[in-house]
Amino acid sequence: MHASSIQGQERPQGPWQKFKRLKRGYFSFIFLCLLILTSCFAELLFNSKALLVQYQGELYWPIFSSTLEGKQFGLEYDYETNYRQLKKLWAEDNSDHSNFVLLPLVPFNATEVDLEEGFYPPQPPSTLSQHYLGTDTIGRDVLVRLVYGFRIAIFFALTLLIVEYFFGVLIGCFMGFLGGAFDLFFQRIIEIWSNIPFLYIVMIMSSLITPGFWSLVFIMALFGWMSMTWYMRSASYKEANRDYVLAAKMMGASNFRIIYKHIIPNSISTIITFIPFSVAGGITALTALDFLSFGLPAPAPSWGELLRQGVDNLDSPWIISSVVISLSFVLMLVTFIGEAIREVFDPKHKIYYE
Amino acid sequence: MIKNIIRKLAFIPLLILSVEFVVAATLPNDITWLTNTSSPEWSSTEAQKGGLLRLNISSFPPTLRTVGPDSNNSFRSFLLDNQMPLVDMHPNSGEVIPMLASHWAYDKDGKTVYYKIKKNARWSDGLPVTADDFLFALAFNRSKDIVAPWYNKHFSEEITEVVKFDSHTLAIVGARIKPKKDLHYYYSLQPRAKHFHKLNQQWVSAFNWKIEPNTGPYKISKIRKGKSINFKRKLDWWAQDEQFLRNRFNVDNVLIKVVRDPNTAFKYFERGELDVFNLTLPKLWHEKANGPMFQKGFIHKLSFYNQVEQGASGLFLNLENQLLQDVNVRKAIAHGLNFDKIIQQLLRNDYQRLPRFHTGYGKYSNDKVSPLGFDLKQAGALLDAAGWNNKDQRGIRVKDKNRLSFAISYGNKLHEPQIIVLAEEAKKAGIELKPQYLESTSFYKNVIEKKHDIAWLGWSTGFRPAYWQHFHSDNAHKPQTNNVTNLSDANIDRLINQYRESTKEQERIMLAQKLESKIAAQVVFIPSTMVPFTRVGFWRWLKLPESIATKSSQSLFNPFHSTQGGLFWIDAKSKIDSLSAKRSGKGFKASTIINSDYKVTAP
Repeated sequence: MHASSIQGQERPQGPWQKFKRLKRGYFSFIFLCLLILTSCFAELLFNSKALLVQYQGELYWPIFSSTLEGKQFGLEYDYETNYRQLKKLWAEDNSDHSNFVLLPLVPFNATEVDLEEGFYPPQPPSTLSQHYLGTDTIGRDVLVRLVYGFRIAIFFALTLLIVEYFFGVLIGCFMGFLGGAFDLFFQRIIEIWSNIPFLYIVMIMSSLITPGFWSLVFIMALFGWMSMTWYMRSASYKEANRDYVLAAKMMGASNFRIIYKHIIPNSISTIITFIPFSVAGGITALTALDFLSFGLPAPAPSWGELLRQGVDNLDSPWIISSVVISLSFVLMLVTFIGEAIREVFDPKHKIYYE
Repeated sequence: MIKNIIRKLAFIPLLILSVEFVVAATLPNDITWLTNTSSPEWSSTEAQKGGLLRLNISSFPPTLRTVGPDSNNSFRSFLLDNQMPLVDMHPNSGEVIPMLASHWAYDKDGKTVYYKIKKNARWSDGLPVTADDFLFALAFNRSKDIVAPWYNKHFSEEITEVVKFDSHTLAIVGARIKPKKDLHYYYSLQPRAKHFHKLNQQWVSAFNWKIEPNTGPYKISKIRKGKSINFKRKLDWWAQDEQFLRNRFNVDNVLIKVVRDPNTAFKYFERGELDVFNLTLPKLWHEKANGPMFQKGFIHKLSFYNQVEQGASGLFLNLENQLLQDVNVRKAIAHGLNFDKIIQQLLRNDYQRLPRFHTGYGKYSNDKVSPLGFDLKQAGALLDAAGWNNKDQRGIRVKDKNRLSFAISYGNKLHEPQIIVLAEEAKKAGIELKPQYLESTSFYKNVIEKKHDIAWLGWSTGFRPAYWQHFHSDNAHKPQTNNVTNLSDANIDRLINQYRESTKEQERIMLAQKLESKIAAQVVFIPSTMVPFTRVGFWRWLKLPESIATKSSQSLFNPFHSTQGGLFWIDAKSKIDSLSAKRSGKGFKASTIINSDYKVTAP
């Protein structure tokens, strides 16, 4: 290539700048981050507890305090206050204008059953009942379950990702770096391990124990760590013979230090490129397990469980459509991010010909 | 030569020993032969023979054997119903009626029944049914070759022996004394065709797909593996003119199709490819079964109240849990369960609250026992009295650092909505119930090993109330027994022993009633719901007798059962009319019948 074309090129950019230029991926990333952030504060937006209650001149913050009984607000019962009813009651009875209830955007929680006399669940979407996406077959709000289900799914996927990558990357790097017997041994282990039918194992495990969030992460990581090892093995195999690694070796750096300080940072692009696809994999895996009822125990809000309900109740289309649209949308965002990242780290953009 | 003779002679004593000297037993003189020709029949004389009935099952049976591995599948009842019992109970009055046996008599020892087999009784291959088939049936059920431990145990421990007097007379001797009528039930034995079976270690695999000779009205005529099984009516059935069996079993063919998905099966039914569909589920009856075929009167809907033993389903509280040992806590839980809400708002008021452990057992049921209702005040007062005065941040009661929290395990996803609603409501009483779904096999294991806190399950029914297995201390705190609450109460034990030993019907009834109230007072079992009816949709060419069905009918279109089955028939003319009307887009009057003849109103 001629020198002039090199001069004409822009200053080399950092990956973040490059990523920002890829609008579709960048905005997907911003949007997904916003979604995750919102879901972290879901209790403030989607909750059966009131945000704020003023009763006889005193202020209460039900979401932030322990359970407030009905008696607290002059009602007859001594279990948790039904704030929707309270609001209605005070709206009808205008004797004390200072009393008020400030409800969250959607005044239901994820496990609450809202059954109305004369109507049988599932109920179609309605702004009047504030079930904006309707209710499921037990009378729980679909929107609220979607939100809390999203939070569980995305954090599940991220946790799974961290655990899988930690072991996968470490073992893969050591395989490539050390080579020899260690490499051969793990190659065979991985080959055998990847031939165990993962789904059956999960089914058997979750029929023996009632799975929880962490036990599911554990089971899935147990069978998911292998995928990263091959990539990291070849990456570190390549890096191990580079001069900087040899230099580090000569200076007496330990194997662990070489891998941690030199090899991983230099092959980070491989790891980052795979992250979005692993997240998508994690979400779909949890959804699939919940769909087959081998996932999180009821009444945990879950997309898979909603999907199951939707398939069983096709005549209540709001259930299936809500969950299918949400799932496709989130997976689409993740895929756009993934594409953009791949583009950023695409070696074709980096190579300078001489 | 001589050696040879000696050798042969040496075998003679052995041969003599090995020949069985069958000395025919003699009948005692002091027995009275009984029969029943006076009870009314329940079939319709208007019934016509002919036609095809199409039913569905959800999976193809893994075997055609009725015992041994994989035999306990949903198809088995079609086979078993085609094996006639010796005698049966009249479906309306409960009197003993003849089936394979024409006469029966009771021995004064209180555990032996004599039977005379009808001379015309025939297997489907034309050979007569004899006492030998019953002797063989006992040996068969005790044989290790059938790989059925439960059968081995039952027929070894419950039935002492079968005695043959002549080719058509026999006695069945039970292990324990029972009231006369109960003997028929507890010591019943269905014959097995001796000439057909070859018992050896290969029996299980060799007889997997063999069509066993039967004594009932139909036999299998065609099998399409994985797809369907066709039963054909025996045109020369030996019992077709017998009392209690005539004018029944009318359709010529019964085709049982495999349709895996219930939603698909319903579509098949609406298209007219199935004749009958069970509509017991509220969603089916109220919502799905309202399509054009229903509105145009092609498919009729029928709800029929029956009076059958209700399975004891509900919550079983395990007394091995420290917190549940306090009866006040158990009562509080019972008061904290809002079954009314479930029945009214999830089950559309179709189901009823199950009143007690034993329901529908006639005089044996204690109608005065009813469950504790939803009452938060009562629950609160009981918990206060038990020392659960404080509440934690989430509003759950606490005492000495213990939270009032229990896992409620269940093994069937169908029940999940009910459990979730109950758990939500129980929070109001300060009780936390954590739903714990376990896959059905591990759920069963969990419960039978008594590792649960509270289990949501249902027991199948029996002929008479059974207390010992569920509530006697003999079975408490031991794995693999049916006392899943671990109740052990000396007073209840004493009554159960009396109930088991008593042979007088009146005394047993009195004891059963007493036991029922004593057990209910312990609140170890909290009854859930029952379905006191059966509901179906059926194409209009299917006809039923005027009385529709019997008091004990659990299915209106059962094709084979010896007392409840085969009451319907197909009106050939109506079928032709209906099909041509369907083609031309015409319709008939819609029909929904609710028959409450046998409805029990709450006392």
